[in-house]
Amino acid sequence: MAAVAGFLQLNAQVLYWFFVAPFAGKPAVRFSQVVHQMVRIGVQAVPMTALTSFSIGLTLAMQAAQELSRMGATSYVPDLISMSLLRELGPLLVGVVVIGRSGSAVTAELGTMKVSEEIEALEVMAIDPVRYLVAPRFLAMVIMLPALVVFGNYIGFVGGWSICRFSLDMNTGAYIMRLIASATPLDLFSGLVKSFVFGWLIGTISCQKGLSVTGGAEGVGRNTTGSVVTSIISMLVANAILTAVFFFAE
Amino acid sequence: MSPSDEPIIEVRDLVKKFGERTVLNGISFSVRRGETLIIMGGSGCGKSTLLRHIIGSIKPTSGSIKIFGKEITTMKRAELDRLRLRFGMNFQFGALLQSLTVGENVALPLVENSKVDPGIIDLVVKMKLELVGLTGFEHLKPAEISGGMRKRVGLARAVALDPELLFSDEPTSGLDPIMTAVIDELTLDLTRKLHMTAVVVTHDMVSAFRIGTQMIVLGAGRRAGTVIARGTPDDIRNSPDPEVQQFIKGEADGPVPLKLSPEDYITRLLGHERDKGLSY
Repeated sequence: MAAVAGFLQLNAQVLYWFFVAPFAGKPAVRFSQVVHQMVRIGVQAVPMTALTSFSIGLTLAMQAAQELSRMGATSYVPDLISMSLLRELGPLLVGVVVIGRSGSAVTAELGTMKVSEEIEALEVMAIDPVRYLVAPRFLAMVIMLPALVVFGNYIGFVGGWSICRFSLDMNTGAYIMRLIASATPLDLFSGLVKSFVFGWLIGTISCQKGLSVTGGAEGVGRNTTGSVVTSIISMLVANAILTAVFFFAE
Repeated sequence: MSPSDEPIIEVRDLVKKFGERTVLNGISFSVRRGETLIIMGGSGCGKSTLLRHIIGSIKPTSGSIKIFGKEITTMKRAELDRLRLRFGMNFQFGALLQSLTVGENVALPLVENSKVDPGIIDLVVKMKLELVGLTGFEHLKPAEISGGMRKRVGLARAVALDPELLFSDEPTSGLDPIMTAVIDELTLDLTRKLHMTAVVVTHDMVSAFRIGTQMIVLGAGRRAGTVIARGTPDDIRNSPDPEVQQFIKGEADGPVPLKLSPEDYITRLLGHERDKGLSY
């Protein structure tokens, strides 16, 4: 319960620093730090995201082709790729990549800072750790996760294309046309909403786990594991809820 | 200049319990402007915990702490932050931000809490690093300098905003004798010339008697968490309390025993079984 209360409190504090503090004469969140975190969380995750998305696009196309070829419907392979990637697999897989790569790093970094009294030093210098450390990481996460998802979708389509083009002898133009025809704006929109929510969850959970470290190096390890596990579970639960919302909204 | 009568820090009946364990048990003292208070006591006697209470990092179980006449134990975060701008804290291991360079660490309070021109901040950083004998180290990361240097950077950062009140947690432990003297001289300069008030936690007796104008000694064993002696350095030096004498002379055996008596040893080791009526 204490963890949930801490999590909600951190959410409120982050929102305070973005939407209330700048208008109350308090120092704003530093733009340069947000950019720095965007590079660490987003730009540096590009190769890993590309590799994951390409391989998923590739395998999706192969699996789909195998099943659909029995019915002589391999021309529908791009439809299946576009829907699965845009709505489900894109946000989820990029979310897992970001949790493993950046969420854990944020927890370990903040946890080590807590253990070595750096967080306390910031507080004593009247620098709010939520403004200085949490807010830039949070904002970077909610901006970069959707951006990575869009990027990952494109790379996934390229993975699918490689099978359609070289194994199913589908024309590149036909593949693109099929993708465009099958995808609706709601597919993309639902994926982006999901990735925004995932970014929010990963950002706040990883920071809260980092700031709540106690007990030295062992505590840092424990909370980093906890951060990854909690982030993945929360992401899966949120995914199910959002899928249901979009399913019934249609 | 003689210290004024205005108390800058006033601690009354401070009690802190962690679960069943009482770490601080009714601590009271006050510090006036321009004084340097030394907090002494054996390892684990609650010195650092006491300091953490005064800087507002820990809330006491009961008791009152007033800084600049304001009660900080019940203070709101925003008000405490305003008060914190008036004091500097030098942590035991420096507590520097590892991701920033030495220069950026010293500049941090200025960058975050003031709207000073970057050119002036650079100048202040150089001046403060010069004070602690670390000119030219601005561009190194904390991981690239020694532990003693990190402590000195911590001190430079603590005085970056020219605070009225300076807290130091073991500022000279692990430093060579020359650097210890430099840090002591710096503390003396700050208190005498700038009329800064200082609270220093230390084990180092030479340093303590060199810079202290007031001292308190925290007890060990049965008297743990209480003030067993207070006063000027001369009062402490002439204290009749044998535990204080043992502490300032650094003797292994005394009221805080080196070894337990055979009876006590057996009781402590096997007390549990003995209670059950077993004989030895």
